[in-house]
Amino acid sequence: MIDALIASGLTLSVPLVLAALGGAIHRIAGVVNIGLESHMLTGALFGAIVSGMTGNWALGALGGMLAGAFTGWVMSLLITRLKGNEIIVGLGFNIAVIGTIGYVLRAGFGVSGTLQIDGLQRLPKIVIPGVHDVPILGALVSGKDPLFWLCVVLVPLLAWMLRNTRWGVRLRATGASEGAATSLGLRTLGLRDGAGLIAGALAALGGVALSLGTVGLFNENMTAGRGYVALAAFYFGRSRPLPTALACVLFGFFDALQIRLQTVGGFNADIISTLPYVAVVVVLAVTGIRERLTSARKVS
Amino acid sequence: MTTTPRHSAPVAAPPTDPRQSPVRRALVATGRTLQYAGLPVGIALVVGAIVLAATGNDPLAVYGRLASEAFGTPSRINATLAATTPILFTAVAAAFAYRAGVFTVGVEGSFVLGGLTAAVIGARMEGVPPVVSVLLPLLGATVAGVLVAAVPAVLRALWGVDEVVTTLMFNFIVAGVAGWSVQAFFQERGQANSATAYVSANAELPALAPPGQTSWGLVIALLLLVGYAVWMRFTTIGFEFRAVGSAPRFSAAQGLRVRTVLLIALLGAGLIGGIGGGAHALGLVHRYTEGFSAGFGFTGIAIALLARFNPIGILVGAILFGALNAAGATVQLFIDLPVQLIDILEGTVMVFAVAVFTLPRLARRRAAAKRGDA
Repeated sequence: MIDALIASGLTLSVPLVLAALGGAIHRIAGVVNIGLESHMLTGALFGAIVSGMTGNWALGALGGMLAGAFTGWVMSLLITRLKGNEIIVGLGFNIAVIGTIGYVLRAGFGVSGTLQIDGLQRLPKIVIPGVHDVPILGALVSGKDPLFWLCVVLVPLLAWMLRNTRWGVRLRATGASEGAATSLGLRTLGLRDGAGLIAGALAALGGVALSLGTVGLFNENMTAGRGYVALAAFYFGRSRPLPTALACVLFGFFDALQIRLQTVGGFNADIISTLPYVAVVVVLAVTGIRERLTSARKVS
Repeated sequence: MTTTPRHSAPVAAPPTDPRQSPVRRALVATGRTLQYAGLPVGIALVVGAIVLAATGNDPLAVYGRLASEAFGTPSRINATLAATTPILFTAVAAAFAYRAGVFTVGVEGSFVLGGLTAAVIGARMEGVPPVVSVLLPLLGATVAGVLVAAVPAVLRALWGVDEVVTTLMFNFIVAGVAGWSVQAFFQERGQANSATAYVSANAELPALAPPGQTSWGLVIALLLLVGYAVWMRFTTIGFEFRAVGSAPRFSAAQGLRVRTVLLIALLGAGLIGGIGGGAHALGLVHRYTEGFSAGFGFTGIAIALLARFNPIGILVGAILFGALNAAGATVQLFIDLPVQLIDILEGTVMVFAVAVFTLPRLARRRAAAKRGDA
């Protein structure tokens, strides 16, 4: 029971962690990415299609990632170069991309909502012999797909890169004060577009984890608001990689628990699904009030 | 962690020069409207045309069909106006808050909870005197709409907590709470998906032209639109709204009631959105079901931005999107055209409605030239 819960909780966290890390990078560069949902869905679709065409999961993941990177870059361009408001552009981008995917599924593939692709290769599960049957530890590390291990590597790597590399420092400077960063000669718009591209790519890998990970097909509702949960997660983690990822794991466990409790009965899935969002409101309220109490009175 | 950046108003109000002659001013205004509204719509139509052509449809034929399905016959016009009603509410709600520089995306949540409340109260109105049986559910919807906006409004006005993310989060919280409460308390027996009972006949908003679906909800929406115009143009608090919206720091320094404005802007948007949801429940669907709002809150944002908060522009924009929604639903029956085309157009309009179509370098040069003049 607890093993199954741990295993499914971690599996459900992987798409969230990838998307939230992408969103966190974009946020550090100074852009709130509302479009994660659209990047995830794009990645899920292209991942499934490419995997079906080539019969190779790695190429599928690569294809999905590139498609998502493209959408992330385009969205970032609209925000940085055309000076569109990030929230409106993100919401509009979500509506347009999700609409386009739904339209193409029906008009191009003649299916309504769910696309099943012949010859699609799913992500392999890496079973570690010896550890696999150990209780709890086995559920923690064995039987995971490559994207899970990518998350494990990515969290410390990104934390280190943001702290120590030239790119990381410049990115943080751009987000902290665009004016100051520009006056130091940084190409802030370019840095932001790069962050947008990475956000799209990572969120798309999160989508790939959905379409090639558990089910092996594409459904236009398969992200089911995970892009917004990821948004909640990087707000929760204040855009730092480790806390953000931990928030995702927490939300993933909520999700797994909810599925389990639903079958046992009692708890309502709709109420549990609101927990991440409530958490974000609480975090924003607490930090906002604290900031206001400690700092000098500011004009609202 | 960096400090949270304040979101500026999505679009700045265009400056007007009182020294110009009325004709000149009208021409300038027309040119601006074309640039602000025509360009996003034009780009959306081009994007839609590309998607249509890529899937083997003739864009011009499809657009022609959409137009005739929207305005071809009186009954189609009636359907268009019925589809206009909910988004006119949400557009007025969005414009109301945005004018004060408050950036809510929570109208969707107010609309949904308002609709649920009106549907639940409306189902219990059997035997209640006629006018009260409509007003009571609408009142409930209003209160629900305000409640959804209350927490973000207080957090924003008192402690400066960013309203964008909190209102966005409240949309999801409301969706979850609404789904749960329907399943737990208001589920109509024998319904596969979660839906409440139909409202009683005397709680329905009557149709304006009976076989058609356009109800008195449209009249309420138009009254609110007029109220919005009067509020912004002729009242003191309306002036404060515009002042705070265009220059918050200056307004605070001048002693304007910035906090009150912020609070009223957010609560007012929730209130209007709540009435909209109530009118939608009583006037069109007559109950609350899952998927009650087809993203009406977000369409309203697109319309408000496209119109740059101008009341007449809001009306035109709402009819435009209403026409798309109404025509999109029936065009499917004649040509094999997925309704998602409407989403593509709407999303593209939203994206480009906030875009600034000047090359940055050009704008800088122009600004420099202007400084040289002075």
